[in-house]
Amino acid sequence: MPLPSPPRLAIFCKVVDNFGDIGICWRLSRQLAREHGVVVTLWVDDLHSFQRICPQLDTAAPSQQVEGVFVRHWAGQEGVFTPADVADIVIEFFAVDIPPGYIDAMAGCDPKPVWLNLEGLTAEEWVEGCHRLPSMHPRLPLTKHFYFPGFTENTGGLLREGDLPERRRAFDRDASAAFLSGLGVTPAEQAALKVSLFCYQHAPVSALFDAWRDGAAQVACLVPEGVAAKAVEAFLGGPGAAGSAATRGALTVRVLPFVPQPDYDRLLWSCDINFVRGEDSFVRAQWAHKPFVWHIYPQDENLHHKKLRAFLGRYCPDIGSLADFSLRWNGAPDNNENASLAECWMALQGDMALLARRAVHWEKRMLENGDLAASLLDFARSLR
Amino acid sequence: MKPAKEIRVGNIIMVDAKPFIVLRSDVNGSSRTGFTYKWKMKNLLTNAPLENVFRGDDKFDVVVLDKKPVTYSYFADPLYVFMDEEYNQYEIEEENLGDALNYLKDGMECEAVFYDGKAISVELPTTITRQIVYSEPAVKGNTSGNVLKEARIENAIESKQHTVQVPLFVSQDDMIEIDTRTNEYKRVIRN
Repeated sequence: MPLPSPPRLAIFCKVVDNFGDIGICWRLSRQLAREHGVVVTLWVDDLHSFQRICPQLDTAAPSQQVEGVFVRHWAGQEGVFTPADVADIVIEFFAVDIPPGYIDAMAGCDPKPVWLNLEGLTAEEWVEGCHRLPSMHPRLPLTKHFYFPGFTENTGGLLREGDLPERRRAFDRDASAAFLSGLGVTPAEQAALKVSLFCYQHAPVSALFDAWRDGAAQVACLVPEGVAAKAVEAFLGGPGAAGSAATRGALTVRVLPFVPQPDYDRLLWSCDINFVRGEDSFVRAQWAHKPFVWHIYPQDENLHHKKLRAFLGRYCPDIGSLADFSLRWNGAPDNNENASLAECWMALQGDMALLARRAVHWEKRMLENGDLAASLLDFARSLR
Repeated sequence: MKPAKEIRVGNIIMVDAKPFIVLRSDVNGSSRTGFTYKWKMKNLLTNAPLENVFRGDDKFDVVVLDKKPVTYSYFADPLYVFMDEEYNQYEIEEENLGDALNYLKDGMECEAVFYDGKAISVELPTTITRQIVYSEPAVKGNTSGNVLKEARIENAIESKQHTVQVPLFVSQDDMIEIDTRTNEYKRVIRN
């Protein structure tokens, strides 16, 4: 029996990384609703993190509709559900545990819902061998399928709205200047090398600030409030509230308000190089046509270093400066371990034109893989 | 109930009330949920093979089957013959041996697993020692701790030669320890 039209889809999202999990789920939900007419319910456990990227959300409402998506507060694992409550497609994001009552209700459905575990993004080769594989439930007559985003045609591709390249192209120099001015970025800062900085707390930000401060080029570092707080406050010599700024040597650090997702895209498009983290901003940087440096989510046993190397191997096997800097930025041992972060930055800066060309070429390659939302929906249809 | 991460090749698990033997397990790093386990399995009732992927904390009923210590004796095409202390012989099909084939060695000690009175697979010790029969020499200057190379290990069956990834400092003829759950190199044994 084919999926009904329009299909109902439920995504279960648990916020572990403050903005990455909900950032991805929110983008996916909106895109499925807007571009594919899917009736989406987004179950999320942390409405406060969600509100930071979606200010119109009411954190007190257990249920609400935002931008065409039904948002439900996922308050816990309890709850009684019936087959009528179950969506046609159920997505557990990053292998979260769906409430047992919901799973029991899924088992009672006829036909059974399409059940997907949407996994994290990695460039490692093994993903191709696990993408779309079944995962039989040990006790119930249910089969889940693993679904992996990725960088090759044998994966689900990357999350991207259909009109994103067009919107980026329409965002011209004047629009960029107006946007940055609206964030308080001065003309002098706009004339400098503009860097957006988004990273986890353990990134060696102070060392990078030192390199920029002592460098020959004027650098304007734009950092959202709360990111790299210690290093930012040390540089500013005071609280890092939005609107704060200080200049030392060649470096100006400016703290920006935490902006909603559409404005974060504009920030990425406006800067000369973007430091991004986790998965959501990492993917957005790849659609921005600008050089970027990735700070990867840390994992036990340094698994993230393996993932970082796998990505670098695909993205820049021929650009040593980006690989060296990225490994150093992520605390991963590399073959150039005697070089300081400042030296790595100098080399990276020298390759900026090459990196800009790579960013454009890479986007073209990634576009050829299709987009995650459409691929995922096609796969769900193929299972019914 | 056992989590997927504790289930080994040769174990029989119940999935949707049907017994499956795990023939091969590939462990891969995943997102924040730990590891992903890709299993090649076989339905013991229908003999139908299938591949499934699981999270490390997915829990399964493991069927406790009779086991008996045996040693690998010889290959009687297409069956592999194992022998117990009383010289009883047990023939096991190649496809049921899964990854154990990679480590087969004359006189190798393992445990035969019985289902319905028939030997259906063998379970290996968690750690085994094997000699490297061929490996390329390390390239000078390439000394990073993360760099690995392929090493072929001894095996009783010529056509089943198996390679494992080892650090660069490991050489041909070295004895190495291998974790049979992950098929990964553990350490080199040198006196």
